[in-house]
Amino acid sequence: MVIVELSDVRKVYPLGKVEVEAVKGVSFAIEKGDFISIAGPSGSGKTTILNMIGCVDRPTSGIVTIAGTPTKDLKDKDLTTLRHDTLGFIFQTFNLVPVLNVRENVEFPLLLGKERGSKKEREEWIDYLIEEVGLTQWAKHRPNELSGGQRQRVAIARALVGKPQIVLADEPTANLDSKTGEQILELMKKINREMETTFIFSTHDARIVNIADHVIRLQDGLVVENVRKGEDAIAATAAEAAEAGQGGRS
Amino acid sequence: MKTLVKIAFKNLNRQKKRSFLLGGAIAFGIMVVTIINGFAGAFAKNIAGNMADLFAGHVFVEGVEKSAKGKPVEVIRDATVLNEALAASRVDSRLVQKRSAADATLVFEGKKANQSIWGADFANESYLKRRLVLKEGSYDDLLAPNSLVLSEKVARKLKAELGDKVLVQLKTVSGQNNVGEFTLRGITHDMGLFSNMLAYASRDDLNSLLALGPEEFQLYGIMLDDLSKAEPARDALVAALKARAQVFELSAAEVSPSGAAGMQSRYYKLNRLAKKESWEGAKYRVFTINDMISQVEELVKVLNSASLVILAVLFVIIMVGISNTFRMVMYERIREIGTMRALGMQRPSVKRLFLLEAGFLATGGTLAGLAAAGLVMLILSLFDFGTGTFFSLLMRNGHLTFAVGPVQAALNFVIVLALTLLAAYLPARKASRLEPAVALRSTK
Repeated sequence: MVIVELSDVRKVYPLGKVEVEAVKGVSFAIEKGDFISIAGPSGSGKTTILNMIGCVDRPTSGIVTIAGTPTKDLKDKDLTTLRHDTLGFIFQTFNLVPVLNVRENVEFPLLLGKERGSKKEREEWIDYLIEEVGLTQWAKHRPNELSGGQRQRVAIARALVGKPQIVLADEPTANLDSKTGEQILELMKKINREMETTFIFSTHDARIVNIADHVIRLQDGLVVENVRKGEDAIAATAAEAAEAGQGGRS
Repeated sequence: MKTLVKIAFKNLNRQKKRSFLLGGAIAFGIMVVTIINGFAGAFAKNIAGNMADLFAGHVFVEGVEKSAKGKPVEVIRDATVLNEALAASRVDSRLVQKRSAADATLVFEGKKANQSIWGADFANESYLKRRLVLKEGSYDDLLAPNSLVLSEKVARKLKAELGDKVLVQLKTVSGQNNVGEFTLRGITHDMGLFSNMLAYASRDDLNSLLALGPEEFQLYGIMLDDLSKAEPARDALVAALKARAQVFELSAAEVSPSGAAGMQSRYYKLNRLAKKESWEGAKYRVFTINDMISQVEELVKVLNSASLVILAVLFVIIMVGISNTFRMVMYERIREIGTMRALGMQRPSVKRLFLLEAGFLATGGTLAGLAAAGLVMLILSLFDFGTGTFFSLLMRNGHLTFAVGPVQAALNFVIVLALTLLAAYLPARKASRLEPAVALRSTK
């Protein structure tokens, strides 16, 4: 089942008097439950694509469809609701709310939308997530009292608290040492298996690329490789895409 | 909303020094204005209270008759009707004083001074005995015939000392010139402009000079428990007196007219009626101490208006600071705003978060300002400035007093809150309009 679909998506940023085309007509689809890595060098368009899938940015042209909803004509309020109900975010720099403790940070997304389930159920779910990420002892601590790995674990729990269908992780291991990075990846893989949550990473971390079951490689705003493990390459090459005037299509 | 409140409150602690300075600026503004309001509030009460002491009453009745030539003559020949009306009005009076009064010229060894003289019943006015603070002489000496009490200022002007005989020239109630000799037996502390209210003679002696009978008088003063009861007591007395005698009454339009007439005191308007109207026999006018000094109320209004202007000016300056600070805060927290928006916070909630923070700042600043004002007013009220100066009329027993009404304090808070929210509004709106991707991309 396709949960994310990009169709001929372009993104142009104004940079002073010139325009920079960060994404040059990209098309691909992501299946529900995928653990997918969007890889590529800096400036290849990874974060831009992730932002468009995350509905925090809009494409200049093309169509982004999230969980069956085309985002093109949605108003800001509806996009925000879609983000809240469907997506979870993990940032490279953790982006925790500094004045809230671990538990409050994890709970935060739940307080932004309509209440779902009873208060008791919600509290048990938060406690479960905090336990899953191994931070029960740190639940009352603020982010500045935690290590980088612990902060990223909080961010993971926060991303999952709304039971999103998709979790977007922008370079989640970039600010972590290798051992902590591996632990974090294992944790996300475990959640991916157990909860069938779709994880989409933007990364140049080879470890993520290695454990991902679907890899999309970008270069200069184009898909140069689109491979699902155990299957043949499903993407057109950059040259083919350029000839066709659009990105690789899965 | 609870989460927003919690975050907004905690955000104030993130930059303690900055919050302290901003809150301190608000607190300072509130403190200054509250002290001015407090002084203005007590100013009118103190003047009215002190004047009530000097005039020996909170509510007064004057009797007016028309002379053969049609001129008003101020005299009350019989208190019976007033006593009956007072009893019928159910006004809770502490005591009743009957006094005469005259505008006189005092002459001593070629020196002259104009002076209002009260004719008081020294033997029976226990209240006067308590309130009249003599610098020289004793109250018991005043019981001797033809005793006169002057203020230090007037005595000094005449170069008269205790025991000196002073000539008193005045017009009788019917307008005839008359002169009498009084002995200076008491000198009060100097009260500046109000010194001319502090001359007393025996009512019998003054009556004789005014060509009034021994039982006649001019002012029927009713002392109440509390100044705040003066106006209801006046109205009740007017109602009771109307059933028994003729009473001067102002029309609704005259009570609260617009324009310049609005500045005229009720007492002035009642006096004017006596000149315009024709009647036979005695007609009474009833008024309160506040009616006599309504200009003071106007002054209080001016003071309160001035304090509001000061508040507004102070806060325009403070608003610039608040606005700049919140603009800075927005840039400092730009990634945080982006994160919150990404996690599903709607635009209005972002705006609300900023405005709540500003609201907490205003509330905290106001509470601190009120507390500081309370402390300063308490300390100032502990000083004894003495009772011997004109300024003591503005005080209570030589102490500064302050009265800040809850409505005034609430009004100041509302103004501060509104201005603070206004100052924070533009940065809040800008923050709410940030595109999440732009905010998340920020390197600030």
